[in-house]
Amino acid sequence: MRVALFIPCFIDQLFPNVGIAMATVLRRLQVDVYYPPDQTCCGQPAFNTGYWDEARALARRYVEIFADADAVVSPSGSCTAMVRNFYPELLGKPTQATTHTYEFSEFLVKHLGVTDVGARFPQRVTYHDSCHALRELRLQDEPRQLLRHVQGLELVEMNQAETCCGFGGTFSVKFPMISYAMDEVKVSSIQNTGARYVVSTDSSCLMQIDGYLRRLNLPIKTISLAEVLAST
Amino acid sequence: MNVARDNILRRVHAALSAEALRPVAPTSAPVFPPITDPEARFRAEFVALRGEIIENAATLRAFVNGFAKIATDGSELTNKIIGEPNAGVRECDLGVTGCDYLVAQTGSIIVSTLSAGGRALSVLPPTHLVIAQHEQMVGDLASATALLRKRYDKHWPSALSVITGPSRTADIEKILVMGAHGPKRLALYFAD
Amino acid sequence: MTTPTLLQFERDATVKAADLRHRAVIQKNIGTYNIAVANGRTRFADWQNARSHAAAIKWETINHLDRYLEQFEQNVLTNGGHVFWAETAADAREHVLQLARRHGVQKVVKSKSMTTEEIHLNEALEAAGIHSIETDLGEYICQIRGERPYHIVTPVMHLTKADIAQTFQEKLGAPLTDSAEELAMIARAKLRHEFMTADMGITGGNFAIADTGMIALTENEGNARLSFSLPRVHVAIIGIEKLIPRLEDLALLWPLLAASGTGQALTAYNSLIGGPRQEREADGPQEFHVILLDNGRTRLLADGEQRDALHCIRCGACLNACPVYSNIGGHAYGTTYQGPIGSVITPHLPDAQEWSHLPYASSLCGACTEVCPVRIDLHHHLLHNRRNAIQRRFDGPIQRFLFRAWFWAMQSPVRYAVAAKLGNIALRRGLAHLLLKPWTAKREFPTPPKQSFRDYWRQHERRA
Repeated sequence: MRVALFIPCFIDQLFPNVGIAMATVLRRLQVDVYYPPDQTCCGQPAFNTGYWDEARALARRYVEIFADADAVVSPSGSCTAMVRNFYPELLGKPTQATTHTYEFSEFLVKHLGVTDVGARFPQRVTYHDSCHALRELRLQDEPRQLLRHVQGLELVEMNQAETCCGFGGTFSVKFPMISYAMDEVKVSSIQNTGARYVVSTDSSCLMQIDGYLRRLNLPIKTISLAEVLAST
Repeated sequence: MNVARDNILRRVHAALSAEALRPVAPTSAPVFPPITDPEARFRAEFVALRGEIIENAATLRAFVNGFAKIATDGSELTNKIIGEPNAGVRECDLGVTGCDYLVAQTGSIIVSTLSAGGRALSVLPPTHLVIAQHEQMVGDLASATALLRKRYDKHWPSALSVITGPSRTADIEKILVMGAHGPKRLALYFAD
Repeated sequence: MTTPTLLQFERDATVKAADLRHRAVIQKNIGTYNIAVANGRTRFADWQNARSHAAAIKWETINHLDRYLEQFEQNVLTNGGHVFWAETAADAREHVLQLARRHGVQKVVKSKSMTTEEIHLNEALEAAGIHSIETDLGEYICQIRGERPYHIVTPVMHLTKADIAQTFQEKLGAPLTDSAEELAMIARAKLRHEFMTADMGITGGNFAIADTGMIALTENEGNARLSFSLPRVHVAIIGIEKLIPRLEDLALLWPLLAASGTGQALTAYNSLIGGPRQEREADGPQEFHVILLDNGRTRLLADGEQRDALHCIRCGACLNACPVYSNIGGHAYGTTYQGPIGSVITPHLPDAQEWSHLPYASSLCGACTEVCPVRIDLHHHLLHNRRNAIQRRFDGPIQRFLFRAWFWAMQSPVRYAVAAKLGNIALRRGLAHLLLKPWTAKREFPTPPKQSFRDYWRQHERRA
């Protein structure tokens, strides 16, 4: 099985370690991965803002680039949701690439049947459900199962784990005051767990949460699920 | 000729030429859990709503004696159990009516203008007493609506109400307060 | 496009989002609500199936609406009522005024109705010298404070007991009290007199039943019942989308509305009104009038993609689920219908451009869609509205240019790499504070690492 890596544009540029971590874990599990270098962006920013013609053109590009993959795996619930759930609406029909694109934790648990990747991360950790992963991809258990099998990791649930962090793509800069309030509420939930780390499948959420934590100098860190799973 | 009516219906008709997606189809599985003991279920629901069940004739006498001004629906059953009214609906402190059905699912009492002496008598008085019979008990709302249709389909009364507990509001800080506008107390007596 | 409405929204949202006391009150109320609803749902053997059934009932009605409207009208007329078809808010208002004049109405008692808010009925009545009194406790409080209701189901969610006591003291001369019960009794006593002396009762309607020609009214307080029982004329104003096919459908819709609206099994009173007082009846109004309101609903009906927004039963669940709503509250939206459903339907009104920002004031989290008891695809409709806004060129030239440029870069890996490199340099130079001001005003923006994923892969894969 040839698995293509789909590394969203913002992870490519801002959080490459997340992509590297994912590739590392997949290889540890003997998965044959490759990275099509022509990929750029899934088009979600255009789609979410209403520029559907532009988003459609980028969707067609994606489908071409990943046409030959048996599976496409991405460390982003939101980009995966874009491809699986919204590309069919844009393109008028599903395709091989759109039906076989998976978020990383989803791929591990549901397709490889793996919940223990041999990771070690002895920290108190809380998990934030990204809206796209939770509601578009229906992933709630899978990331938690993976975390529970990480050696030394203490998982504590926050209140309102399912409440949006306030990122929402361009929403975070179009309506920053609302985005910030939602961020503040989320951080408050995190603080109440006493966790040192907050984990998510989505680095966009983590970027939003981290932005608040760092500005206020709070002793909590954000880390992607991929990086936790790559830790040994 | 009603121009507005024609315009609206025409617009509706034209609008519907475009198809809309059907939602997820329901299954035939029951929506509500079955009710195995309607009497017990009704009692539990009614009491949880702060409804008061008057257990016997002696308790009824004591209850009624607590009210000076009593209005009734003038029905045969009410006359037999309570006697004649001594006040009108607007001045009374107790309103006594019959009912159509009791619904175990929700602890509700269904009244109509015909079973409860009009519209106001079951909502204006500060305390509302319902005289019912056990045979009026039904399991769920689905049965109740079916029975109402059977009873009234030839000539519906102009108003019906499904009463589920006394009047209440939680508008103020979500704090529950009884007797917002309708009766503060709702009592039920089984005549059989 | 920056409209005055958008600027007002931004101002209001900024104030409310930063108001921690406001946030605490709203979120406490929503917390209580969430517990009640979770409990209420356990009364259903299968909540998801209940939603599907309800969606099917509304789909059937809305997609055959002409038939059901005609059936409803026929039955109302047969039972001695009157039906008026109002194309616009103005038509509806004018008809109410006509009825009031004809019947020498000086005082009106009203029960809670978003539809009457939508058509600004109270202002019209007051302008005509008719005293119109809101009788729902929360709405009454709003009225005497001169505010619009805050939320579809709980109009004074944003006020504390102290706020209300203050209002009652100022406006009614009532003694200050800390007791919610005493406050409610003050309002009860005052309004009782109004019910008994009003000439006309005006209600909305939660449902309109086609096969019996009845209006269904859901409430907890009893003020709607008093409004349609005591005055000599009853007027019910309903949007045409309120139709349902059969009486029996209420056996599902009443509990569903109660569970989603407040977490109850049923609200205290679910009433059915089919006509004026009959000869065999002891009391009731002499006349019963139903006003069927279009006011843009046929426009939404014509949109096959978003038609299901008309399935809304006005339960308020989407507002309570929405993290935007829970942080900015209801007034900030500036519209009659707030929260997710408001952001879906308001852009379909005639002044769509003015409200085109509302669908964007959402992170698209999807919580609304998850809770909607009639399965309206709410957050996806926000996306559809955004697409419509762009198609209608409501975006400004700057945004359009930026997206075109971005798109041009994304279409080629080379252009992407160049653009990314430029961005990388700028951000590593600390220019985020200039370029991303809306973000960096209050949040740190990450400094990109030197090497992107693609650079790393190219470098390491060559070796591997």
